[in-house]
Amino acid sequence: MKQILLITDGCSNVGLSPVVAAAHASSEGISVNVVGVLDHGDVGELGAAEIDEIARAGGGLSRLVNMRQLSQTVQMMTRKTVVQTIQLAVQKELKQVLGNGAIEALPPDKRGEVVRVIDELGETSGLQVALLIDASASMKPKLAAVEEAIRDLMLSLQARQGKSEIAVFHFPGTKHGDDCVMDLDWTTHLNGVQAIFPRLQMGGTTPTGPAIMHVIDFYRRGDYGRQSRDETDGMMSGYVV
Amino acid sequence: MATSFKVDLRRGMVVTGKWKQGSYKVERLLGEGANGKVYLVQRDRNWFALKLGSDAVDLQSEINVLQSLAKQRQQGHESFLYDVDDLYGPDGREYPFYIMRYVLGSTLAEYLKNQGPEWFPLVGLNLLVKLSRLHLAGWVFGDLKVENVLVADYAHVELVDYGGVTACGKSIRQFTEIYDRGYWNEGSRQADAKYDLFSFGVLCIQLHEPKRLHQLTKEMLPQNRCADDLVQIAEASAALKPVAGWLRKAFAGQFTDADEGAAAWRQLMHRRDTHRSSRIPGWLKGLAAGTAALLATSAFWLLRYML
Repeated sequence: MKQILLITDGCSNVGLSPVVAAAHASSEGISVNVVGVLDHGDVGELGAAEIDEIARAGGGLSRLVNMRQLSQTVQMMTRKTVVQTIQLAVQKELKQVLGNGAIEALPPDKRGEVVRVIDELGETSGLQVALLIDASASMKPKLAAVEEAIRDLMLSLQARQGKSEIAVFHFPGTKHGDDCVMDLDWTTHLNGVQAIFPRLQMGGTTPTGPAIMHVIDFYRRGDYGRQSRDETDGMMSGYVV
Repeated sequence: MATSFKVDLRRGMVVTGKWKQGSYKVERLLGEGANGKVYLVQRDRNWFALKLGSDAVDLQSEINVLQSLAKQRQQGHESFLYDVDDLYGPDGREYPFYIMRYVLGSTLAEYLKNQGPEWFPLVGLNLLVKLSRLHLAGWVFGDLKVENVLVADYAHVELVDYGGVTACGKSIRQFTEIYDRGYWNEGSRQADAKYDLFSFGVLCIQLHEPKRLHQLTKEMLPQNRCADDLVQIAEASAALKPVAGWLRKAFAGQFTDADEGAAAWRQLMHRRDTHRSSRIPGWLKGLAAGTAALLATSAFWLLRYML
């Protein structure tokens, strides 16, 4: 199962529409969740609408929260999306058997068995979550809370029975026009990771769409890299961001 | 995630199950859990609690846990789950629900406020015994907090909201940050009996020192949170001092399960300092002295006139 979790506080303003990018992700089998972090005011009507639409296009969930709720929200969202992803797959199977895929269409006695399977798969299947962090200037004071949320998420994922990995990206990248930079490659633990975000140079733009495309590409290359590693006798894929 | 769950059943409304046609008359809202609302309902002059879910998979998952628990219960235990069905909400949409036994009781904080703090040691013990039954059956309650414990007469406790109940070894399904040992950097979120005992410890502190606990969560940097600070609050609190040693052990995961925790708690209860004799307030002493003086004066006058 693959997820992208976007944490942002406003509107994208450069490049490809993030809604289009999220739809791309969805077609690659990656769910996109979006958390909008509020500080004192709000993200504005435009920001809220965009956050909602990105998640819808990406087959995920969206939430607007303040910093204190961030950890709990990120954790619950990831968990809910895992269940949703499996539910969709199970419903596809059910459709072949019953003609109607909705779990609600089953009588309550039969529902129990299906949900048991969903719960079991949700706990045991492999999970990858790529966190994509908006590091534009207005997000700077919120990055400590974001880092806490990432550590908290890792703690929750470690409790699962299936293999769980996270990777962390932030955008915009450097002054040289990179859309997105990887801070942390796939990992199953954060022990010994002192700071996830090194000294960031805050850029002026918010290229949310291009950054999502970048992470999709990372996912694809990751898959490719794994295959080629098997074929080429342990040679690393050599993917450098 | 707090569900923004808008459907509302109003008082007097009669709801009927779609599959089994059971009818229930709605009395009032009892409470709101993480994945649904709980109402007091009536059927054939009996009171029940109805949990209405926003999501069929979420609620069914909880029902599965309740059904497994019911199967494990020995005979002689009252059945917990009476009916599972779907209903049409006022908005015309279908919602899953289940019917369970209605527990008449007040919240933990209310109970101690009304009945007096001397009930705390016994309430604590009864809660540990409740948890130990779950643990013996291979389950962990998960979302143990003040709001999820009801207390009826004579410190009889009942756990409500089984949304967090998790089989041992799996990841905790639902928790509340300040009660979570992971939040305090004191261990994983994998379900084991010690997880509940940690939450029980936080619950004790939340009951007696809610302000200090809140202050601590606001002040501490996430990476610096640790159980030592919780123990310090307990040691500084008159009500918690007698159990501070017990809490330290619970936070450190030194009790294997709630059974062992309950045994240690029971020993504490029979020590004299746990039930501190209530001191006589100063004003009462003053009153007594005043009364004595008055009596002496009247006796003096009485004797004087009689002689």
